[in-house]
Amino acid sequence: MRAHRRPSLALALAVTATSAVALLASGCGKSLSSATSGSTAGDVSPTAGLVVTSPVGTQPVSQVTWALYRDVDSLDPAFAFDYPENTAISLMCESLLRQEPNGAIAPGLATVSTPTPTSVIFTIRKGATFWDGHPVTPADVVYSLQRQEAPALGGFYGQVFDRVKSIAATGSDQVTLTLSQPDYWLEGELSSMAGVIIEKAYAVKEGKNYGTPVGGIMCTGDYELSSWSPATGVVATANPHYWNGPTPVTKEIILKGVADNNALTAGLETGSISGTFVSGGEPTLPQLRASKAVKVYQGPGESTDAMIISATSGPLTNVKVRQALSLAVNRQAVIDNVYMGAALPAKWLTNPGTFGYGTSTLDQMYNAAPALKQNIAEAKKLVRQAGATGQTITIGTSQEMVGISYEAGVYEQAAQAIGLKVAFKNVSAQDFINFFTDPNFRKGVDMFPTTNYGDYAGPEGLLETLALPGGSQNYDNFNDPKITQLMDQSRSTADPVIRAKLMAEAEQEAAVTLPWIPTCQPTTVTVLNAKLTGATTSFSYMFAPWAGSLGGTS
Amino acid sequence: MTRWRFLARRLAMLVASLLVASFVIFSAVQVAPGSALSALTGGRALPAASVAALSARYHLNDPFFEQYWYWLDNVLHGNLGTSIEWRENVTTLMRSLAGTTAGLVLYAAVIIVVLGVGLGVASGLRPGGWLDSSVLVATAVSAAVPSFIAAMVLIAVFAVQLGWFPPLGNGSGFGDTIWHLTLPAVALAVSSLAIVARVTRAAVREEAGREHVQTAVSRGIPYRHIVSRHILRNAAIPITTVAGITIASLIAVDAVVETAFSINGLGSLLVQAAEDKDLAVVQGISLVLVAAFVVINLVVDLLYAVLDPRVVLGTAAR
Repeated sequence: MRAHRRPSLALALAVTATSAVALLASGCGKSLSSATSGSTAGDVSPTAGLVVTSPVGTQPVSQVTWALYRDVDSLDPAFAFDYPENTAISLMCESLLRQEPNGAIAPGLATVSTPTPTSVIFTIRKGATFWDGHPVTPADVVYSLQRQEAPALGGFYGQVFDRVKSIAATGSDQVTLTLSQPDYWLEGELSSMAGVIIEKAYAVKEGKNYGTPVGGIMCTGDYELSSWSPATGVVATANPHYWNGPTPVTKEIILKGVADNNALTAGLETGSISGTFVSGGEPTLPQLRASKAVKVYQGPGESTDAMIISATSGPLTNVKVRQALSLAVNRQAVIDNVYMGAALPAKWLTNPGTFGYGTSTLDQMYNAAPALKQNIAEAKKLVRQAGATGQTITIGTSQEMVGISYEAGVYEQAAQAIGLKVAFKNVSAQDFINFFTDPNFRKGVDMFPTTNYGDYAGPEGLLETLALPGGSQNYDNFNDPKITQLMDQSRSTADPVIRAKLMAEAEQEAAVTLPWIPTCQPTTVTVLNAKLTGATTSFSYMFAPWAGSLGGTS
Repeated sequence: MTRWRFLARRLAMLVASLLVASFVIFSAVQVAPGSALSALTGGRALPAASVAALSARYHLNDPFFEQYWYWLDNVLHGNLGTSIEWRENVTTLMRSLAGTTAGLVLYAAVIIVVLGVGLGVASGLRPGGWLDSSVLVATAVSAAVPSFIAAMVLIAVFAVQLGWFPPLGNGSGFGDTIWHLTLPAVALAVSSLAIVARVTRAAVREEAGREHVQTAVSRGIPYRHIVSRHILRNAAIPITTVAGITIASLIAVDAVVETAFSINGLGSLLVQAAEDKDLAVVQGISLVLVAAFVVINLVVDLLYAVLDPRVVLGTAAR
């Protein structure tokens, strides 16, 4: 649900072309069919061939250095919105519910039940303890959730609790959330950052230092924070008293910010860096794939690469012009040159890697949906019908960000090919984020590229922010009553299969009325030292513990 | 007495430089692209109440001069402020990183002085020899190499191909840190090293050709005495000047090298903070760097008096 922010891409090497086929056919998933995602009866999953985990590591490893694109600067889940913070917090902390590597939601620190549509009961699981040995109590749960909800803290997830009327301890191991209206999206949110449980006594004692290098954190995961300073980064050690399973065989994990692509590649090739999740395009991916020192895994993603429509007037407010642009754009060029092949063609605005519930329903409807094929002649016709030929659209871009400016160029070509004129608003890498946050800044800008994801694996996670009236990223006041009605109904529907079907219908409608134009669906790329295995290799690493099985290859 | 007056005057100049620099940097960050609120919210659309709470906490909506005064007042009370990105005290943040940066700059300075002066003297005393020719060619090339290019080449050759040094990171413990900081220190030093070697060579050649040196040679005074007393002593002033300037300028280049080698130090923090408009951090680090720059120049000035007693502190034209 946020804008992908990576100014360091500005330093990335020039985009080079490579074959998409090489990566997709890499075969890292072939021997792991049991671990592949979305095994649906009779149908081929849209994410078939992608692996959600690497094989369990069994050999002890004393130390692993894991690279992030920059250093972690907060371990407070209320302020975790970007890759480094999410990766660090999910390594050490646990949420009420747990997003499995394949996106399904399972019990985490608690099990969930919904005795009535407007009450959600979390029962804390037996034996759940913090690193200091204290049991997880309802008071900790109530505190953690209310802390996230409170506007005074300025946390990022307050809106998650829109439909929550009250949060109260209702038993020795029970917390009840009373809702103003049914909300079956809440469970997904609480399997992610918004649902991370921290120890109340510790957080109260540390006050505003909680989640900083001075205050540290108190969580429940299989790795515990052993030290953290801006000089050395986050150091986590295996928790010898983990409540929910064996102690991991990898003793220590250092999370290190590596901003420079050249240094990252050298670090991976020499073993100074043991592994990394690649966020955004990685220009040196072909080089890493060829290296014997590392193994590259490709797993399901949950982010969508799209063109955000921000026009409140002009040609793009006409659905036919948006459809024409979608027909004209060369999506394969983006997949090949920005993602080095590590992306799937787009059909919907949502990545099929997010099909965490009602998976077979969503898979079937996704497979049946038409592919977004390039058809310039048809697109030209639509522009003519709309009477938009010769009109100008303004694309927001930043030439300092290689991927962003490449995509802006691809859309420019598409627009020109169908009789539209293009202007650019080019800004610095630092300023690019203002397109998302400042209405005055994006005034006159009709569209701008993004890589964007929701808070958890659900097809509504991203779509609700951009297609619903009042959505946080609905910049063009898009309003398709059919989508709104379907999503509203889905949110209130208890049965996951029906909920999924309603969402799939909303997605199909959105692929036609195009609140945004989907470009492609990035997969999750994980690079691991050849002697190391066991990490989660799907986008779930952003929301749930990912290193419990990390260890040496046998 | 003049010495104390000189020091007092330089101290006043230091305070004035810091004040002016802090205002200029404060203004520059304010007009630079980006907004602190973007960094605070991470681009997530937050409810208005949360935005208001964050803005108030970090004084984002106060007028410019009020913000500057608020910052200055805190600094005068020994508080450099709170980092927006780290939600932590700037002094604490800097303390954990200053050692690495100081170590890296010092390491590079040692390389520049030892190798730069050493090679310059050696080639200056034997002009036209094979060493002199090699030094001339090598310095001509390396003087033109920017440190980020040097970093890429050093990583590719000495870390990836040969595996002698790690490609990135700070290291821990003394020996490991030296090992980790070697490539960065070389990358940082390489172009300055060339300049110092060339200036040293020219100064030594010039002094070696002076009449009193020729006279001393013709009187049969031992060569090493001539070199140490007549040549080096007189060449020391230009050498010290150029070494001082280049070493002080390392402070500016340090950020580039730290980023290229993923070293966690003041320089890389400064880059990150500038991107995120983390004003308190940018200000805090800049002040430390400006102060270090001024102090290095002061040390050079003091050295003049030691090297040449004719130089009277505070009066010599520089």
